[in-house]
Amino acid sequence: MSSYPNTMPPTRPEVADHTVADKRPRWVQLATSADHKVISMIMMTVAFGSLFLAAVELVLIRLQLAVPENVFLTAITYDRLLSVYGATAIFLFALPLCFALLYYVVPLQIGTRSTALPRLGQTGLWLFLLGGFVLYASFLFTPPEAGINPLPPLSEITFTSNNGIDAWIVSTGMVTLGLLMIAIDLLVTVRHLRAPGMAWRRAPFFVWTAAIVSWLFVVIAPVFLAAVTMLFIDRQAGGGFFGGGVGGAPLLWQHLSYIFLTGAYMTIAITFLGAISEIVQNFTNRELPGRRVIVGSLAAIAVIGTLAWAQNMITAPIPVGFKYFAMLLSISLIVPFGLIFWNLISAVSSADFNMRAPLRYAMGALSLASIGLIVEVSQSTIAIGSQLQQTYDAWAATHFTLIGFAVFGGFAAISYWYPKITGRELNEDRARISFLVMFAGTIIALVPLFAAGVEGQVTDSYRFFSSDGVSAFNLIASIGTLVLFLGLIMAIGNLIVSRNEGAMATPDPWHGDSLEWLALSPPPAHNFDVLPDVRSTRPMRDIRESLSQDPPAIEEESPAGETQPVA
Amino acid sequence: MAPALLSRPRKIVQLVTALVGSLFGLAVIASPALALSLNPEAGSPGIEKINTFHWIMFILIVIAIAVVNLAILRAARPRHRYVAVDEGRKATGHQLRIGLGLGVLALAIFTTATVFSSQAREIPAGSSQVAGLNADDQLEITVTGQQWLWRYDYPNGAFSYHRLVVPSDTTVALDLVSADVIHGWNVPALTGKAQAVPGRTNRIYFRADEEGVHSGRASILSGQGTAWMESQVDVVSPDVYEEFTKQLKADIQDAQDAVIEENQSAEGAP
Repeated sequence: MSSYPNTMPPTRPEVADHTVADKRPRWVQLATSADHKVISMIMMTVAFGSLFLAAVELVLIRLQLAVPENVFLTAITYDRLLSVYGATAIFLFALPLCFALLYYVVPLQIGTRSTALPRLGQTGLWLFLLGGFVLYASFLFTPPEAGINPLPPLSEITFTSNNGIDAWIVSTGMVTLGLLMIAIDLLVTVRHLRAPGMAWRRAPFFVWTAAIVSWLFVVIAPVFLAAVTMLFIDRQAGGGFFGGGVGGAPLLWQHLSYIFLTGAYMTIAITFLGAISEIVQNFTNRELPGRRVIVGSLAAIAVIGTLAWAQNMITAPIPVGFKYFAMLLSISLIVPFGLIFWNLISAVSSADFNMRAPLRYAMGALSLASIGLIVEVSQSTIAIGSQLQQTYDAWAATHFTLIGFAVFGGFAAISYWYPKITGRELNEDRARISFLVMFAGTIIALVPLFAAGVEGQVTDSYRFFSSDGVSAFNLIASIGTLVLFLGLIMAIGNLIVSRNEGAMATPDPWHGDSLEWLALSPPPAHNFDVLPDVRSTRPMRDIRESLSQDPPAIEEESPAGETQPVA
Repeated sequence: MAPALLSRPRKIVQLVTALVGSLFGLAVIASPALALSLNPEAGSPGIEKINTFHWIMFILIVIAIAVVNLAILRAARPRHRYVAVDEGRKATGHQLRIGLGLGVLALAIFTTATVFSSQAREIPAGSSQVAGLNADDQLEITVTGQQWLWRYDYPNGAFSYHRLVVPSDTTVALDLVSADVIHGWNVPALTGKAQAVPGRTNRIYFRADEEGVHSGRASILSGQGTAWMESQVDVVSPDVYEEFTKQLKADIQDAQDAVIEENQSAEGAP
């Protein structure tokens, strides 16, 4: 394995045939395929379906809270909607979307024909699908009702005797286990199957992101799996891990679940910051100057952010030193997040580019996430946190960050790789309109909730009173949520409609830098006919330049967006 | 015709940019007033500290959000211009400076937050007039959360539900415990939030400066009745407090005596 030909373009053609038709029905192919692209396609589809479900649940919650003393929903229905909304948004939308994107793109970016452990990834997909099914099957009996994070002892069998919590445990546990399998597959893949010459220093942002996020998930997922297993033993086998009255420790659940949930928050932030870095680098048409700083900051966010889990427990009776430690860590997150934001924004502002859907969504993501992250800084302090935690202020900050990263970042990433995934181009006009509607909706839906939270409105209460002085804020927020919902439907609809109506995409529509643009659109099952040698951080650009007869020159760089098909 | 057609969307974008910019400017100017009007009125020294700190952070947050988002808006505005090829390389030297600057900012925020947080957590000194309580002692009241009520046990053995009565100018120590699930104690004007966890005692201190009524809603989901679980704290003068607890104890004693008497007569005592 020591001598690769160092000529460019790729010199090792291998036998490949695109014409053999699979005679099995389409659904059998989908169900049995261990191809990373098929697995992530199914996962992405389910994730965007879950986004729609989460949006419907959020709209119902906001309708209940549109006017004071509303009787639209009963207390128990509200609690159930809230619980299912949280599980759907985190476990069925945001986290799966992260891993589906990584699982689709990263093997292509590192130039491999398959992942290292494809059947592990397939098992992960099936666990994820079953987990989602279990959560929604619980609507046949009783959905979970103990809140977004079901704190024991409320979620113990003594206080919630119906099986909703069990459905939540089984569902989130299966999803987490499934995503853990995909994370392990990704980790082994990026470790061992990178194309010849792709040293880590030449790996694209998203490959680094995959490595960081997968390591993080390998650390945090077992913590959560242990926690839900313990809760399940408590409920079904008479255990006493978290039961307050029988010598158990209710605070242990808070530690374990917040280690995972804070880690999941960081997973989402890191993944979409990685995707946005890719997009910004592509559209600004040159290597990001702060490449190493960005990658280092992403890794720092994974470590520092997750260690700061106790910032969610400011009101809990835990040693005060613990709270100061969490406060120090979460405030110091200003440095890595600030560096990434500064690098991305300054790269865009000092470049000439065509504003297209991916970059537009990406800038929207940065804008919304910055609002959430900045507000989170003040809420992680003990003084303000003890006043504002569990209020709509905290809710709005978390939603700004997660809608920014997962929804806007998600649409940025999906519209960037849409031509690669589907072989069609995303409709630009519909993308622009849906972006504007969603952006306006998010701002209108969340900014008033900051004020409602400072006024003292708590999130876990199914109604408020006209004497609370938060009626106007809630009404505006509910209207904004409807606008956001409309924008979401337009954006998701655009993804669906463009699959059939969009113009056929070339393999390299964005004039990309990394190897996924070498494969056909959509890529064949084996990804690449020939495997390239990598000699820089921008292998695809090298290939383009060596294919054109002229020597590499700066004038070659044409604005992004113009198609220049390769091979 | 072409330039005119192209310039119209650009004008709209400029207009929107100017509008958003001026809105941000307005928000920066209006934020202190907004923060003051929205924060709960402070009824204890700890909350006063928190409100001051929140006021500082509020201005900082609004400025930070405005700066970052105006930078994004400026970066993303449509334009075509000449870009020097190695302009990007110059930025590398700034990384360290930006990183250090952010580090200093983080350190400053952490220091300020630590100062204010520890001040807010300080046990306030009281000048108690309550009988049997030394000036630097704390009045210890046990607060028990249960689905969906708060129970208050006073030092003299009296207890009450829903409504807590405390003397003004006295350091009060609340021992938060729970009879069933985790409850979120929440009186924004006096104590802020604290969890009542079964099997643990969460002790918080406060001193109410003026007489009045403060209330709050339970902040953690504890079942279907969470929305009804309110806590009301009546701050009264020490004399009224003593009178109240004495009367409460006597009432409870009377009620218990009545039960015993009733049972004894029912059993046909001679």
